[in-house]
Amino acid sequence: MLNIRRISSSRWWHKKKSWILLGIFLFLVFVRISKGSLYKDFFYFISRPFWPGQFQKEVIIKSINQESLIKSNLLNKDNIRLREILSLQQSSNNNNISAAVISRKTGGWWRQIILNKGSKDGVEIGSTVTGPGGLLGRVNNTSLFTSSVTLLTSPESKLGVWVDRSQINGLLVGSGDDHPILIMYSKEADIKVGDFVSSSPASSLLPPNIPIGIVQSIDETSQAKKTAKISLLAKPQVIDWVQILKINI
Amino acid sequence: MNEFFIKKLSTISFIFIPIIFLWHPSWLGFLGVQPYWPLFWLLPWAMINGSINGLVFGLFLGLILDSITLDNNFSQIPGLILCGFFFGRIKPHSDILVGHFRYGLICSFGSFLCGTLYLAQILSRNFSDGNFLIFIPGVKNILAEVFLTGLFAPFICSQFMRMLKFARRKLW
Repeated sequence: MLNIRRISSSRWWHKKKSWILLGIFLFLVFVRISKGSLYKDFFYFISRPFWPGQFQKEVIIKSINQESLIKSNLLNKDNIRLREILSLQQSSNNNNISAAVISRKTGGWWRQIILNKGSKDGVEIGSTVTGPGGLLGRVNNTSLFTSSVTLLTSPESKLGVWVDRSQINGLLVGSGDDHPILIMYSKEADIKVGDFVSSSPASSLLPPNIPIGIVQSIDETSQAKKTAKISLLAKPQVIDWVQILKINI
Repeated sequence: MNEFFIKKLSTISFIFIPIIFLWHPSWLGFLGVQPYWPLFWLLPWAMINGSINGLVFGLFLGLILDSITLDNNFSQIPGLILCGFFFGRIKPHSDILVGHFRYGLICSFGSFLCGTLYLAQILSRNFSDGNFLIFIPGVKNILAEVFLTGLFAPFICSQFMRMLKFARRKLW
């Protein structure tokens, strides 16, 4: 009787250690089947404090910006040289005026910004105003110390623009919200979501090739024309400093 | 100095309307839209001084605001003149609480009227281009403006009413 009990307690399923090992084995099988997702997710959480911080991100962004600036300057020089050869319109980079935004109406009906530079500083009506990202609008009015800029989003704004990919002209009309409307007066106009829109080389109001925005959506319901909503690159609601370009057209 | 300030209280507050209009505090906005500031001053002024005064000062406010906004083709004058005239025909309510809510309701109506007239001008101007894409953002602007104007009117109009009444009493 005693011997039988001894034999049965020596079976592997009577040992706690065996069950532990079986549990580990099953867990590893699960890990294998799930292709290590549990491990990866676990690693995600424990490595989080050691991810590249804000500082490192800023350093990288700064380097990328410097690289872009150098490339942009080289392209700009090339552009000016080629435009001189072809006797095309060009903007003067030497006479730009930096100005701060002192009043901003970017919502509702009245979409304008007021700058702290006026006719005293040489700002003229019709000058082009750009900010980080691209075109903001045109100077509509100047006083001695200030100048008022009609934004591209204002219902008063109508400008000739250029779709870079298909190289066609269109009319950019402010709609009273943050996304102006691009009107192409042809049903067959080749325009796609994501197309880049810049100032038209044929425009008599603006210097050529100033970035404006990206096509966000297209409306093809009209019989005679195509319209598209444009997402602007320069955000007037957050920009504090702008450049006023003196144009030689 | 104090007497001069009280005497000129209505003028000083009138001068501040375009400044607030230009200041455009974004933290007070809703969907990027601001309350229609001139109505906060025009309502108490017209209620105290009558329809003709309201109409005249509606015109003055419209002229100033048109000069500081850049839209050469559209004007705020028609809306403000109408509001000034209608506001002048309304008498202050004896119950303070009801009076407060009335300010909100009346200003909302005024804001709706001004916004609609402004949108009508934009649409008629763009009619030749067949451009009705402005309609939806326009309606959004009107609704946001009506909401905000109605929300702030009970607080601001009642303060203006007290100030203007006080100045008037001191003058007499």
